[in-house]
Amino acid sequence: MLCFCEYACSEKNKLMKSLIFVVRSIAYGLALALLWLLLFQQNGVTQLNQWLQPKNQEQTAISYAKAVRAAAPAVVNVYTVTTQQDPRSYQRRIIQNQSLGSGVIMRADGYILTNYHVVNGADQIVVALQDGRQLEAVLIGQDRLTDLAVLYVKADNLPVIPQLPDIEPQVGDLVLAIGNPLNLGQSITQGIISATGRAGLSTNTYTDFMQMDAAINAGNSGGALVNSNGILVGINTAAFQRQRNLEVQGIFFAVPYKLAFTVMEKLVSHGRVVRGYLGLSGEPVINSSGERQYSTAQKFYGMKITEVENLGPAAVSGLLIDDIMVEIQGVMLTSVNQALDIVAESVPDTEVQIVIERRGQRMILPTRIGTRLDTE
Amino acid sequence: MKMKLSVLTASLLAASLFTHSSYVSAKIPFWGAESGQEMPSLAPMLEKVTPAVVNINVAGNREVRQRMPDAFQQFFGQGELRREQPFRGLGSGVIIDAKKGYVVTNAHVINQANEIRVTLTDGRTFEAKKIGEDPESDVALLQINADNLAEIKIADSDTLRVGDFTIAIGNPFGLGQTVTSGIVSALGRGGLDIEKIEDFIQTDAAINSGNSGGALVNLRGELIGINTAIIGPAGGNVGIGFAIPSTMMKNLVSQIIEFGEVKRGILGVEGNDLNEEIAKAMKVKSTKGVFVGRVTPESGADKAGLRSGDVIVSLNGKTIQSMSELRAKVGSMGVGKSVKIGVLREDKQLNFDVKLSQADQSNVTAGTMHEMLAGANFANGKTQDGTAGVMLTEVAERSPAAQLGLQQGDVIIGVGRTKVNNVAELRDILSKAKGVIALQVQRENSVYYVLIR
Repeated sequence: MLCFCEYACSEKNKLMKSLIFVVRSIAYGLALALLWLLLFQQNGVTQLNQWLQPKNQEQTAISYAKAVRAAAPAVVNVYTVTTQQDPRSYQRRIIQNQSLGSGVIMRADGYILTNYHVVNGADQIVVALQDGRQLEAVLIGQDRLTDLAVLYVKADNLPVIPQLPDIEPQVGDLVLAIGNPLNLGQSITQGIISATGRAGLSTNTYTDFMQMDAAINAGNSGGALVNSNGILVGINTAAFQRQRNLEVQGIFFAVPYKLAFTVMEKLVSHGRVVRGYLGLSGEPVINSSGERQYSTAQKFYGMKITEVENLGPAAVSGLLIDDIMVEIQGVMLTSVNQALDIVAESVPDTEVQIVIERRGQRMILPTRIGTRLDTE
Repeated sequence: MKMKLSVLTASLLAASLFTHSSYVSAKIPFWGAESGQEMPSLAPMLEKVTPAVVNINVAGNREVRQRMPDAFQQFFGQGELRREQPFRGLGSGVIIDAKKGYVVTNAHVINQANEIRVTLTDGRTFEAKKIGEDPESDVALLQINADNLAEIKIADSDTLRVGDFTIAIGNPFGLGQTVTSGIVSALGRGGLDIEKIEDFIQTDAAINSGNSGGALVNLRGELIGINTAIIGPAGGNVGIGFAIPSTMMKNLVSQIIEFGEVKRGILGVEGNDLNEEIAKAMKVKSTKGVFVGRVTPESGADKAGLRSGDVIVSLNGKTIQSMSELRAKVGSMGVGKSVKIGVLREDKQLNFDVKLSQADQSNVTAGTMHEMLAGANFANGKTQDGTAGVMLTEVAERSPAAQLGLQQGDVIIGVGRTKVNNVAELRDILSKAKGVIALQVQRENSVYYVLIR
C-alpha cells in the first residue's frame, strides 16, 4: 500500500513539474510576443488587425448604417399649409400654399426643432414620422435670426435624436445630412464639416453658421446633421446662394447644435428668444490709437465704436463714436463677435459695466442693456 | 510563485490583445489611419474593378417631328414635318460576363441606335451586338466579341443598408472614366415616373449625364447597382442619383439571355401603398405595406388565395414598403417563378406561395437569335410523340422565317447533330454557330432539315 502511494506521489509530482514547465514556457512565449508587440507596435497592430479582421470585415462592411439607424427615425417630415388671400384678385379668393421641410425630435416629450423659414406663417403644420404616423403640430416659438422654430406634438414612443451636450465638432469631421429633399422621402447624404461657424447668440446670418458639403436641397431644411456616430451636430438650414442662375454645389450651412439647443431651451421656456441690445456698431482695432485690425493674426485690442444709435442704450449711457471698448462686465474682449455675444446674452434691463478708452483715458460707463427688437 | 508570475503575464498579454483589438473597430472610414501605416484609399479596389466598366458610344437615326412653319402652312397644310436625323450619344456599361462578353447598360443609352461601340479602359474598341432590352426597367444587354475581358462581381443588393458606402464609375459628359463616391441615401425609391418599373437605390455619389449604364459598387468592388437617373433642377447633380439594384438587374438580364427579352411576371393584384388613413379605416395594425384593392381572377394571386383587403407586407421574406417596390421586384423575376408573399389579414400573419403569371401572351421573338429567323415566335414545346423542343408559335407571312419554309406548329428538336430541348439551349447554340446552320425540324410525323446561312 505504502509503496503504491509513493509511486503515485512521485508520479503526481512529475505531472505537476511537466505542467509547470509547459505553462511557464507558454507564458514566456506570450510575454515575448507582448514585448515584440509593444516594441514594434505599428507593425504589430496592422498585422494583428489583418489577423483579427478578415471575418469581421466580411460580416460588417464599413458603413454608416449604424449611425443612420440611431438617428434617422428621429428626423421627421414637416408639411405646412399657408392660407392667404390672392393679392391679384379683386374678389375674395383664398389660395393655399403647401410647403415642406424636415424636423428633428429633440425631446421624448414631443419638442421638435425645425427651421423658421419652413413654418413661418403656416396655418397648419403636420409632422410625419418615419414609422408612418402623421401628427398635427403646434408652433411653440420661432427665432428669425437663427432661422429656428420649435414645434410640439402630442404622441407616445417618440424616437429622440442622440445628443451630446458638450459636443465640439471640428473642421473635417464626417457628417450625414438627414431629411426629405424634394419630398422624395427620407434621404441620407454625406460630407464633411467645412467650417464650424459660431455658436454665439448674436449669430444672425447663415454665413456665421456651420458650413458643410453634404448635399442638401429644398425639403432638407430643418433636418438633422449628425456625425458618424449618429450624434446631432447641427440643423440643416441653407444652401449658399448669391446669384440667381448660378448653382453652387458643396457649400451648405447648418445651425450648430449648441446654438440650436440654447435657442430651443429659450423658446420652450419663454416662447421667444430675448437678446440684449446696445445700439452701436464697431470695428476691431489693434491699439489704443484706433488702427484697424485686418487679419486675425494681429492681436485684438478692442472694439472701436463707429456708429451709435440715437437714444439707444449706448447713447443714453454716454458712449461716443471713436471710443474703444475693451471690457464688458469684467470680461476682456477678444473679438468683435465675442463682444456681440456678451451683449446678446445679457438680460435686458440689467446694468453692465463697460470699460472704454477715450483719448488714451480709461473710463467705466454703467449701461442699461436694451432689448433687441426683431425687425425683418 | 513562478507560476503565479506566468499566469500574470499571460493575463496581461490577454488584456493587451483586447486593447489592441479596439483598433479593429476604429472609426470609419479611417480604419488604419491611427497606425500611420497606410492612407485609406479606394485605389487598390478600383484598380481591379474599373476595367470592367466600359464607355459606350452610339450613333443612329432618330425620327424628328417638326410642326410645319406658319409661312408654309398655306402651301403644305398643317401637317407635321417628319424626317430622320442622325444622332450620337454616349453612356457607360458594365461587363458582367467576361467569357461571353456580356455588357449591361441602360436601355435609354442605346435607344434607337444602329451602331454601338464599346471602348474598354485599355483602349480597345469593339462593335457591340444588342442581345435585348427592357425599356420598362431601362436595362439592356449587349455582347462584344473580345478576349481578356475583366468582369465585375455582382453583389446581393437586397442586403444593402442606408448609410453603406457607394462608388459610382462611369463616363460623365464623355470626359473619360470617372469615379465618384457617396453613400446609400435611401432604398426602394419609386414613384418618380422616370421608368415604368422603379425600385431604385438613391445615392449622393455624383452621377451626371454619361454615367448612365455605369456601375455603382460597394467598398469590396462588387456591383450593387446600374446608375440610371438623377434629379437635378439645372440638369447637373445635386446629390440625388438613382441606380437599378444589381439583384433586379441580374434577374432581368438572365431573362434577356434566355429569351432575348424580359418575360414579365405579375402577381395579379392591384392596390395602393398602405397609409395611416387606410390602416385606420381597415383596422390594420401596420402602417407600411401594400393594401390590396383587387385580385385579378385566375391570376397567380387568385389561385394562391389572396383576397382584396389583404395587406402585403413581405416578398420572399423581405419587407415591402410600397406598391412600386412590389411591382418592380415582381416585375423583374420572370414568368413562372414562385414567390412567397407575406400578408396581414385580420391581424394574422399569413404566407402564400404565388406562381407568377404572364403579363401578356407574347413569345420569344426569334429574330433576336438569328436574323434569318425574324418573323417567327418561339416557345418551349413538345412534338406529338413527346420530344421536347422549341415550338414555332407564330410565323409572319413573307418574313425571312416563312421564306425558309418554316410553319406554325413546327418544333425545332436539334441543330446539326446536337439535340435542342428548350429556347435557352437553342439561343446558346445559335450564338456560337458559324457558317451554315442546319435546324432539325419536326412537322407532324416527319423530320426535315432547314439550312440557314
